[in-house]
Amino acid sequence: MSSARGHVDAHSTRWIAAILGIIIALLVLPPVWYLFQGSLFEITPTGAVGEFTFEHYRRLLEGERLATSAVNSFVFAIGSAVVALLFGGVLAWIVERTNAPFKVLAYLTTIISLGTPYVLYVTAWLFLLGKVGPVNDLYRWLTGANDVLINVHSMTGMVLVEGMLWSPLVFLLLSATLRTSNPEFEEAARMSGASVWDTIRRITIRLALPAVMALVLLVFIRAFEGFEVPALVGLPGRVNVLTTDIFLALKDTVPPDAGRASAFSVVLLCVVAVLLAFYNRISKSAERFHTVTGKGFRARPFDLGAGRWIAGVIIIANFLFVLVLPNLVLLWASVLPFFQAVRWKAVGLFTLENYKAVINSPFYLELVWNTLILAAASATIVMVLTLVVGWLAVRRKPGGWLLDQMATMPLIFPGIVLGTAVMQIYLAVPIPIYGTIWIILIAYVIRYLPYGMRYGYSGMLQIHRELEEAAGMSGAGNLVILRRIVLPLLAPAVASGWLFIFLLASRVLSLPILLAGPDSQTIAVAMYDMWTNGQGTELAAMGLLWTLIMTVIASGFYFLSRRSGAGVYGN
Amino acid sequence: MLGRRVFLNLSGILLAGAMIPSALAADQGMIAAAKKEGEVVWYTTLIVKQIVRPMAAAFEKKYPGIKVRYVRANATSTANKILNEARAGKVAADIFDGTSTEPPLEKAGLVAKYVPASAAKYPPEYKDPQGYWVAGNLYFLTPGINTSLVKKADAPKTYEDLLDPKWKGKMVWNASSTSSGPGFIGNVLLTMGEQKGMAYLEKLSKQKIVSMEASARKVLDSVVAGEYPIALQIFNHHTVISAKKGAPVDWVAMQPVMALVSTVSVLKDAPHPNAGRLLMDFVLSEEGQKIFANANYLPAMPSVPAKVKNLKPEAGNYKANVVTPDKVATDLPKWKAIFDKMFR
Repeated sequence: MSSARGHVDAHSTRWIAAILGIIIALLVLPPVWYLFQGSLFEITPTGAVGEFTFEHYRRLLEGERLATSAVNSFVFAIGSAVVALLFGGVLAWIVERTNAPFKVLAYLTTIISLGTPYVLYVTAWLFLLGKVGPVNDLYRWLTGANDVLINVHSMTGMVLVEGMLWSPLVFLLLSATLRTSNPEFEEAARMSGASVWDTIRRITIRLALPAVMALVLLVFIRAFEGFEVPALVGLPGRVNVLTTDIFLALKDTVPPDAGRASAFSVVLLCVVAVLLAFYNRISKSAERFHTVTGKGFRARPFDLGAGRWIAGVIIIANFLFVLVLPNLVLLWASVLPFFQAVRWKAVGLFTLENYKAVINSPFYLELVWNTLILAAASATIVMVLTLVVGWLAVRRKPGGWLLDQMATMPLIFPGIVLGTAVMQIYLAVPIPIYGTIWIILIAYVIRYLPYGMRYGYSGMLQIHRELEEAAGMSGAGNLVILRRIVLPLLAPAVASGWLFIFLLASRVLSLPILLAGPDSQTIAVAMYDMWTNGQGTELAAMGLLWTLIMTVIASGFYFLSRRSGAGVYGN
Repeated sequence: MLGRRVFLNLSGILLAGAMIPSALAADQGMIAAAKKEGEVVWYTTLIVKQIVRPMAAAFEKKYPGIKVRYVRANATSTANKILNEARAGKVAADIFDGTSTEPPLEKAGLVAKYVPASAAKYPPEYKDPQGYWVAGNLYFLTPGINTSLVKKADAPKTYEDLLDPKWKGKMVWNASSTSSGPGFIGNVLLTMGEQKGMAYLEKLSKQKIVSMEASARKVLDSVVAGEYPIALQIFNHHTVISAKKGAPVDWVAMQPVMALVSTVSVLKDAPHPNAGRLLMDFVLSEEGQKIFANANYLPAMPSVPAKVKNLKPEAGNYKANVVTPDKVATDLPKWKAIFDKMFR
């Protein structure tokens, strides 16, 4: 490589980094500023900034509320991460690394449940596990007891529902890691006489450790800042967590107690910042785990022998619990005028009124459009931004570290808090997008930058430098390397990342619930309103129809990304 | 535009005077202007499937070319949404309703004074003396019971009955706004007096009432589904609507029953001021009131009876304690604090 060429390249890289830096800084820094400001100053009802004060924090420390909620938040997040990892992780290993039957069911479950809005999913579980739901009904019928087996409005219920909610995601992310990691070590271990279990324990898990740790952290953080489950499952049972306290401060008081909410948010932000520092230490040592090299390979599955049928049963159980039962109970609810226990006498009440109401209302069509456009636009913007940032960061280009930090920073925002922060910003600055679809788009892009980064970054981590160096030696500049080497190799990661963000954005509630105006309602917001104002059965009908649409979209993209993956890794 | 502003200011000055002239009826000029605006945005606390849709459909049929857009949320969220929009200088709503939505918005100077001609047919307690609101419909908050779980004879009939240990953990209520625990507390304090009321609440707090973060309608639905036998502080007309569809549910006139008025107002900076006023006229007209009645809601206009007549106190022969929006606005924080302290 000539020195002149190297100079030009470094120059162009610096420009890319600078422009990206400005865009990302404009997106992610103002919300932080507004949060700190909101927590440390009096804000008058007209929105003017008043005097400096520690009052919001002092009020926060009054009583045991903060401590109780914080402890609950931690228990909830840890429990959910463990449940999600157990369900999703075991499934990922079985599907990607063994010769178990019925694998297609696992994909089906994942695709459909990833397209299901949380609100709908949580609703289904509330129907299922509710006091008169089939689970407790069956328990009473079997034991003759008068009581319930499980009280869903409890910490146990919250952990179970949240864990189930995240297990398809864990499955999706972990199976990508397992699929692309180099099986040479495993094969070497097997040839040296190690048992299947030993190989898993000493090779597979260790190789996947950075990915697993990152995943646990991701689920932990998402549960920690989660809103749907604490609000719908926890609040009725008086199990408060930090996010529902923020929600109550913002929603239950007129005008909203933004000071208290901001102070709460800053506390959350600090906790998550510590976790992120921990995360960075993990990913720093991740270089040792490069496994996609210039050599071609294809993982060979373990032969479980007779054990493959046990693995098959696990896949079927997952299919039943995560997919079939929730949808069946929704189907039951959707043909009833009001929810009733599963009994013969309720069959007499069957009606198609709910479906008629959904299909005949043009309002729902508008919701579908808003939701799909928002999801597609935010996924595209995020993946374009993070692809380049991921490359700059992993290859230690100038500014790469800083860009990575900034793009990962929005992880510190609970959705509900980011919603408030973005709202405050656009109420204060004279850009007239409040109440439109644009403000939601901006919030989504901020929100999903870190998720895009996880795909861009970990995808990059697995591509060894030697491929780019070879291109560089042959005279390719940075942009050419990015376009002709990095992009094609990253295509599977980018496609899965896009799909992932699209699906998350199509079902998120915590952001649009605060930002949506009359013309920019989304499906999730409408569902939340329907649930809380007692149109649960109409919600079930709309939810099933929506799940149908999303399943078509999700499976299309999913198979697309699988195909591009197969193309790269030489099937 | 300027002319309208001047007119509104003038009418404001007139309204502030001792004489409150009723505004012009929905005349042709206003209808034409409303049609030019093409749509009206309604921030509502009413249940969409029961009343908002039929009301909107009837309005759109009467005034073709004016589309009704609605956003449903509870009173607190609706008020906050409008406050925020006003801060951004971008009020999206034209008209809003609710039992406790109006006072904070009036305080923030966002509500327009408007008294439709039909207001003359309403008694004084159902309209604001200053002209900021008129009651669209009435709510009576009573216990609701699941009739397959509780026999009519066993159902609690007095406040004392609720203290029976057999109801421990079997009662449910909403956690926010007035159709809720705080509202129940308010009614107890207003009717029993502070001292006796607090003593009663102290005993009631031992009953482990379940709080739900959901509307009173949702609370009642959990009773319909059989999750709990008794809901407190739900709307009595909701039980009638559900029972008509075959749900095992009924209400109890536990006296004195708390009565709330759901007010209708238009916003000062409404983007469609004429269409907003036109919709308000329509909701408060005899025609609109009959739509409430048909949907089994309780129309505020005295000359329009409820579909099930005994839902209203006069025909149902029960005593109601009418709590105005202003009273709610001043006392609700206190009721909420008691609720948070004793019942959460």
